[in-house]
Amino acid sequence: MSILTLNNVHKRFGETPIIRGVNLSIEEGERHAIIGPNGAGKSTLFHLISGKYPVTEGTISLRGQAIQNLPPYEIARRGLARSFQVTNIFPRLSVFENIRCGLLWKMGYGYSFWNLLGRQHDLNTAARGILDQIGLSQRADYPAGELAYAQQRALELGIAIASGAEVIMLDEPVAGMSHSEAENAVALIRRVTEGKTLIMVEHDMSIVFDIADRISVLVYGELIACDTPSNIRNSEKVQEAYLGTVTADE
Amino acid sequence: MKKFLTKSFAWFGYLAVLLLLPQFFDSILAVSLFNQMAIAIVFALSYNMLLGQGGMLSFGHAVYFGLGGFLAVHALLLIEFETVYFSIVYIPLLAGLVGLLAALFIGSFSTRKAGTVFAMISLGIGELLAASSLIFVSFFGGEAGVSGDRTYGPPLFGVEFFQGIEIYYLAAAWVFVATLFMYLFTQTPAGRMANAVRDNPERAEFIGYSARRVRYISFCASGFFAGIAGGLYALNYEFVTEETLNAVTSGRVLLMAYIGGLGYFIGPILGAVILTLMNSLLSNYTDLWMLYLGILFLLTVLFLPKGFAGFIMMHRVAWLQRRIGKLVLPYLATGIPAMLFMATCVLMLELSHLEDESLSVLSIDLSASSPFTWIGLLLIATISMLVTRRTLPALREAWEFANHMTDEPESKS
Repeated sequence: MSILTLNNVHKRFGETPIIRGVNLSIEEGERHAIIGPNGAGKSTLFHLISGKYPVTEGTISLRGQAIQNLPPYEIARRGLARSFQVTNIFPRLSVFENIRCGLLWKMGYGYSFWNLLGRQHDLNTAARGILDQIGLSQRADYPAGELAYAQQRALELGIAIASGAEVIMLDEPVAGMSHSEAENAVALIRRVTEGKTLIMVEHDMSIVFDIADRISVLVYGELIACDTPSNIRNSEKVQEAYLGTVTADE
Repeated sequence: MKKFLTKSFAWFGYLAVLLLLPQFFDSILAVSLFNQMAIAIVFALSYNMLLGQGGMLSFGHAVYFGLGGFLAVHALLLIEFETVYFSIVYIPLLAGLVGLLAALFIGSFSTRKAGTVFAMISLGIGELLAASSLIFVSFFGGEAGVSGDRTYGPPLFGVEFFQGIEIYYLAAAWVFVATLFMYLFTQTPAGRMANAVRDNPERAEFIGYSARRVRYISFCASGFFAGIAGGLYALNYEFVTEETLNAVTSGRVLLMAYIGGLGYFIGPILGAVILTLMNSLLSNYTDLWMLYLGILFLLTVLFLPKGFAGFIMMHRVAWLQRRIGKLVLPYLATGIPAMLFMATCVLMLELSHLEDESLSVLSIDLSASSPFTWIGLLLIATISMLVTRRTLPALREAWEFANHMTDEPESKS
């Protein structure tokens, strides 16, 4: 059963079309990568799905329920979490607090101002568990903004999985990392998204072909292909469009 | 139980200080000063719920303080004319509820965005209310204000609140309770999410929280506690004017929270104490106290953007790395000449402003008309400034070292 479905999604900024009729259906538990040249609209597509931008036309549904044009917090509550291309954490809160904030809504605290956080045993145990998973237990008390870059990316992933979401969207999770950092990050992503649906945008093709079950190729706001890694690799259409535009860009 | 005691140590200390202060300083002047501090502490803490904890810069926080104050003084009048009859100890709560009501209404449209939009709306509402307080004379009393008498209510355990000290203990009780609840608020999901929204409203929305709703909750709580502070003000002075809800009062609370330190719970308490002291004591010694206040604010903004409390908390990383000791000597080496420099500057300012032309410092008579005084002071100022500058690189180096993050943090005890 498909967990996330995009049906004829369009996005225009003023007169400029950025996304031009995307149809995409992602199965539960799938690891899906979206690739494409710079400016193809990959990040915009992410913003449309997660509610940062309203769609101009078309529908997006999560588990059969329409989510297009809902505010981001409504979409997050329905079980879709995401990370960002630039690091997007709560810099002045401690690492532990960052994770705990990510857990709050799922664990039913809402806007409560009558529960004391320090006394919520289950909440704090869960937060420590996630810190262990992302390997930041030793940094729990540090202000998040003081962490090294790769650690901040790991923390961001931690916040995303803390929400308990079934669909995790990662926007260039290893961009700007050294080779060894990227290797660690990929291992971490595999581990923490076990059994969940993963959608990622990534430029590093070796990682994409390594992780993904299926790959979509986005060029100028249109999906030109959506297939398994080996078929994508051998597709002449993809090679032509993808490499063609890259050369045209340069 | 033991855990409870150690965790509550700071609170018992705070309570003890509140209760014992007038035992050590019992002059009328001192008690009146403590009353002002008590009011300022609640007000500044409530302001910090907005700016420090929630990232909302308000230029109109006096609105909730003033409305609470006006309602409290009207409550005193109602008691005086026996329309209603209850003990005045509950008046701050009533005043708080008025602050809450006002915040419920104003916050419903002003918390949509933080930043400039919020600041401009708060400024507008503040000006609007200050202007209408001069127009609606029956409630606000025009320029003359409204006065009441706190002694008509039923006595509480024989206390009739004639004296400042009796009001002090009433205020101290309210300050303690209000501080405790404002602190507890920071420890709840709503309070923590306020910090998260302050840091990064966009991210907060993607973990399931509406930034606007989170701001609104903080805003209402802040209005409630500002109202309580206004009620205490009315009980202390028995007299409320337009000044309590205008921009001057809004500006003062901003200064307190900023100088004390935004984003740290004890910051505004420090700021309230420091500013009340400057306001009342320094003005007895020198006419230039407003100038010093301005300089203090400027120095805080330039060099300690996180205020006094922030300066203390800046050392957290060094402390966790167990390298705080490495900072003591460099601090002394830079701090002593810097202090000397500032003291000399203050001396020169005071000398240039004196009427009787001479000033005795450390049993040395300094004469403003003698060129040697000026040459000497300038020399000391120049040398101490140069020494400060020479020692700065060493301090910076020590700071870098103490804050350098090792890959594996040393295990914490």
